[in-house]
Amino acid sequence: MEKFYDIVVIGAGAIGSSVAYHLQEAGFSVALLEKKDVASGSSSHCDAVGLICDKLPGIDTKMGQASIDYFGVLAKKFKYDFEYNPKGCLYICETKPEFDAASEYCAKQNADGYPLRMVRTKELTEMEPYIAKDLYGALYTPSSGSVAVNPYKLCFAFVHEAKELGLDCYTYCNISKINTNAETNAVESIETNYGTFHTKKIVDCAGVWAPEIGKLVGIDIPIEPRKGTNLVSEQTPQLCFHKILEYGYMMSKFDSINFKRAVSPLVEEQNIAFNLEYTMAHNLLVGGNRLFRGMDTRSEIETMKAICERAMRFYPKLRDIKCIRAYSGVRPFVKDHLPIVSDVDSVPGFYIAAGHEGDGICFSPITGKFVKQIICGEPTDFDISKLDYARFEKSKAMAS
Amino acid sequence: MSEYLDDDMIVCRCEEVTVGEIRAAVRDGAKDVVGVKRRTRAGMGLCQGRTCEKMVMAIIASELGKKTDQVGTSSARPPVRPLTFGELADAEVI
Repeated sequence: MEKFYDIVVIGAGAIGSSVAYHLQEAGFSVALLEKKDVASGSSSHCDAVGLICDKLPGIDTKMGQASIDYFGVLAKKFKYDFEYNPKGCLYICETKPEFDAASEYCAKQNADGYPLRMVRTKELTEMEPYIAKDLYGALYTPSSGSVAVNPYKLCFAFVHEAKELGLDCYTYCNISKINTNAETNAVESIETNYGTFHTKKIVDCAGVWAPEIGKLVGIDIPIEPRKGTNLVSEQTPQLCFHKILEYGYMMSKFDSINFKRAVSPLVEEQNIAFNLEYTMAHNLLVGGNRLFRGMDTRSEIETMKAICERAMRFYPKLRDIKCIRAYSGVRPFVKDHLPIVSDVDSVPGFYIAAGHEGDGICFSPITGKFVKQIICGEPTDFDISKLDYARFEKSKAMAS
Repeated sequence: MSEYLDDDMIVCRCEEVTVGEIRAAVRDGAKDVVGVKRRTRAGMGLCQGRTCEKMVMAIIASELGKKTDQVGTSSARPPVRPLTFGELADAEVI
């Protein structure tokens, strides 16, 4: 029952699977521990895209672009097909004020070299023939900055490829205790239903459950679950040809962007931001929203009704298409909208890669690479000091 | 009895998933209906597993040497039957 590994990765969602893959590839002996099954948490209760145009200008966008480029490399390299599908994205602006706000965002991204551009009604309706004809325009991102992948297949792909390299994956694994050195507080071992894992390094990739793991080593990880819901349609002929989102999505994601839409009280109260995706299985994924509901992932009828109402505003044809299922999941939300990809000073050997909110799928390739670089003591591809766990300690110190 | 089924028999008609694919998913680590669903799409189609779920459960149970009530069910999610987006938006009580 005694097991020995260089590194133990906790959580087999997109982040943990990618981290385990990158560490195994670097030559370490790695165990991946998962409470349930691979891809059983947020990574199978989400949608399917990597975008730069839902990121704030700066490091957020830079990580998105690096990850999107990296998806292309992995799609060629991996035998396991994760349905990599580069396709452009349209951020729909319902009104002129939205269009103006999006234009400002577009200009900032253009200044950083990203080829986004604004399109007006005529071009929009040519690009999307089934979209409502009275919309003001859209922000267009070409496929170089927008890809679709199948999120749970992405996790399976990382795990499969890592297993080929020697990874040991332990599913349905319950962690009861993490032992640290009495003097140095350095990581020593993990006690589980599979026995004791002796290791000097642990990477906490447990997403919304990362704080539970943090507690086992006495640290506070400020991640909260933020719920989202998607509806799944029956298989339909292709209704949309890009990843579609409404500009209000930005408003819903970043409360700092304070922009009021003319929507019904239900849509407002449910914090709905329309998004639409046509999957490789010919279903539509219709979403979505952001609500704080603790860990409750039941699908709420009021949310479903609000999504339907908002979706038909943009794609009237949806009225006659059938919805076969609703699903809800929780995003690992961090207040400053940046993930935590970092070591932890107070617990030598303990690392965190979590808190990606709605960007976990998109950021998973680059996050795996960063963790590998941090653990190997290599410089990261670019400066990620903003993702350091120490930022919370600093803000606590400032507050007190 | 599911051990006598041929690998090429289709179990999930909506998504055209075979006995062999379900068995392969179990070998890949799936221990329940949801794990098989994510690996094969069995139960993801129009009927949402109404037709095939019991058979999927029997195959998983047989492969793992468990009873059918030990391999879970798919998550209960609305709507109970397919409704158009228009019906869903307009309905007062669902």
